[in-house]
Amino acid sequence: MSAVSSDLRLGDDSGYEGDGPLLELDAVSKHFAQESGLFAGLQFEPDQFPPISMDPGSVQAVDDVSLEIQPGETLGLVGESGCGKSTLGRTILRLLEPTEGDIYFKGRNLADLGGEELRQMRSDMQMIFQDPQSSLDPRMKVGQIIEEPMRAHDMLDDEGREARAKELLEKVGLDPRHYNRHPHAFSGGQRQRINLARALSVDPDFVVCDEPVSALDVSIQAQVMNTMDELQEEFGLTYLFIAHDLSVIRYVSDRVAVMYLGHIVEVAEKEELFENPQHPYTKALLESIPVPDPRESGVRGVLEGEVPSPQDPPSGCRFRTRCPRLIAPEAYDLTDEEWAHTRAFMRAVKRRTFEAMPADEIRREFFGGRPPGGEAGEIVAEAIDRIATDRDDAAVDEDDWDEASSLLLESFAERSICARERPAYQLESTLGSGEHFAACHLHR
Amino acid sequence: MSSEPLLRVENLKTQFFTEAGTVRAVDGISFEVREGEIVGLVGESGAGKSVASMSLLRLVEDPGEIVAGEITYKGETIFGLEEGPNGELRERDDVLSNEEIRTRIRGNEIAVIFQDPMESLNPVFTVGGQLREFIELNRGLGEDEAKAEAIDMLREVGIPDPEQRYEEYPHQFSGGMRQRVLIAMALACEPSLIIADEPTTALDVTVEGQILDLVDELQAKYGTSFIWVTHDLGVVAEICDRVNVMYLGEIVEQAAVDDLFYDTKHPYTDALLDSMPRPDRTVDDLEPIEGVMPEAIDPPSGCRFHPRCPHAREVCKRVHPEPKIVAGDGEPHRAACVKHDAFDVGYDESPPLEDRGPTPSGEDSADTDSESGLAPNPTADDGGERRE
Repeated sequence: MSAVSSDLRLGDDSGYEGDGPLLELDAVSKHFAQESGLFAGLQFEPDQFPPISMDPGSVQAVDDVSLEIQPGETLGLVGESGCGKSTLGRTILRLLEPTEGDIYFKGRNLADLGGEELRQMRSDMQMIFQDPQSSLDPRMKVGQIIEEPMRAHDMLDDEGREARAKELLEKVGLDPRHYNRHPHAFSGGQRQRINLARALSVDPDFVVCDEPVSALDVSIQAQVMNTMDELQEEFGLTYLFIAHDLSVIRYVSDRVAVMYLGHIVEVAEKEELFENPQHPYTKALLESIPVPDPRESGVRGVLEGEVPSPQDPPSGCRFRTRCPRLIAPEAYDLTDEEWAHTRAFMRAVKRRTFEAMPADEIRREFFGGRPPGGEAGEIVAEAIDRIATDRDDAAVDEDDWDEASSLLLESFAERSICARERPAYQLESTLGSGEHFAACHLHR
Repeated sequence: MSSEPLLRVENLKTQFFTEAGTVRAVDGISFEVREGEIVGLVGESGAGKSVASMSLLRLVEDPGEIVAGEITYKGETIFGLEEGPNGELRERDDVLSNEEIRTRIRGNEIAVIFQDPMESLNPVFTVGGQLREFIELNRGLGEDEAKAEAIDMLREVGIPDPEQRYEEYPHQFSGGMRQRVLIAMALACEPSLIIADEPTTALDVTVEGQILDLVDELQAKYGTSFIWVTHDLGVVAEICDRVNVMYLGEIVEQAAVDDLFYDTKHPYTDALLDSMPRPDRTVDDLEPIEGVMPEAIDPPSGCRFHPRCPHAREVCKRVHPEPKIVAGDGEPHRAACVKHDAFDVGYDESPPLEDRGPTPSGEDSADTDSESGLAPNPTADDGGERRE
């Protein structure tokens, strides 16, 4: 870090000289109250007494996340929309108060810091937002925008700030003569550069980049990412790079963390993660992404269904409701094939992706005519009976579907180890020397 | 290949007459769509791909206007001009009237799927109701029949429990599910052509995969042709049969999908491929395209890509290339670049451009007004070179 210290580094004390990670998250959770207001959490339930119940339900946006970020590295954080990656980014900066857990920055627990100390610490941690349009005040000039954080942290005098702003403009690839322009005169890519200059103005060590290039065209994306890369070297920055686009993550990251529904499911060095993914979710993500190569006829649509609600997330492994590798419950003696059939049938019933039909047809369609035997077989037979059109009593209705679905889920899905224990395993990396974390019971 | 294509577009020009001047959003593009194929229309924002696709249905709004060209669909003229007695251009007699376009073509023959499913569905009506109304109006079915058909379509596009979800409102659907509803709506009248305008851009990759699968499946079943408008070359590689690459209102390259990726003929397409990060391999250094796309209001002279083109020579400033066949045994491979022999305008002898000056205008996408006072901006020179 010190080797490249240019005149843009403000003072020497800002660098981090410790040996530990720059940032460490220890079991951080962030839960949001579902509603706010006087009657929040009150539920009206007419069929019980009293007909009102308190349900302080919360959305578990980030749940028990532990991570380390080493000085000078770029950690990519990838996941689908709603998985909690932005919330995590904001919680790290303490723009949101973590519900539980500790965040250590340069070895100091951020929770212990308050008032002035926290404010000081904040100058070392900056953020870049996704939307280059709305993150810049349209009424301020570019110069003011870049100087504002310095003013807030009482850095330099007026002249010094102006000189630094101009220098930063040049560093991020803009013309210093644009100092007096308004943001609207700039294109999306250029605005993102202004954002960069603003974040760097207070000489931070750590920058959270929340989807910084998602709103940009491909050719502009590459320009901005390259600039970020150069700045990282020059300023000795550490990035947490949040994105949903795996190709972007692969380009910018040193290590990658994959997030699903508030949990980190896999962390590994970039090459290891992309070439040797160990979590079924990571695999599915990698398989789904369209490859710009027409000869690469990929599998896609490998994941069924949708992300469950974070209000009531699945127990154990949160991915288990969609996981193509959900582990068979030990209570039953099923062959792999029988389990695959049963699993597919269970999910089809739960999602109701087929119409009620005669029992024989169900057996043929889902079990190739050979449903499993033993205890598991009895449960399957009972479920089939509920939704078969040729059974004795009345036609199949909603309740029958619900019963069949809960019978199957309780007998199979809930008894799987995936539902009972939250997975967390450290594996050996096959590529590179780093650690490889995978939250999947297949590695038990 | 001998048979008449489903849709033929010739020299289409759509312009917007604004106070700042005439924006030549689409400037003389020609392409065709054959039965049962998926044709890609690719480009960055501001390239004119959406305007082009909306022109096909004559859905261009003021101050925009189709000013030239011919659009033929199944032998019928959607748009065409002829010279009147006084030398002025007027619409030909055989052009379909607005009424015919509205009742016969839109929805029934050519349907559209838009990018943002939330904006294409009315939030105060149930999803089923909207789909039913659409079927009733376009196919003249009674209410009950239309409802049954609507439920069938919802099931067809993979919406679980369609009877139940028929009664729900758009906000109760996830993004992927809403996009499925739009696909159901587009398919409901069994059109021969569907224009899909960035239909998966707003979706997560796993959902995008599901939708692409669905499109593949439905296409095999109904034989519908698609025009797939996108900026994502990954999606293009996945599903398109043939591709048109647009830059600043023009088609610069037109080829079968495999040729486009493996035998790229236009420097812009090349540069675009080089600037993309890859999901399937680690790229150490991306080569961004220099500069930004200029405004369509004042396009560069000659080849419109020349200010950013690494192969540009002096001749590129003067000669404006129209796409010509440059390769291809079966499927013609067209490119609009004078470096190919087919053009024969002296590219090889022409001196390289010396003053690789600034880009013509400081802006990339069409989302900002160009400020004439704005000095050219050296944004792009990530290589370190800066203009004084």
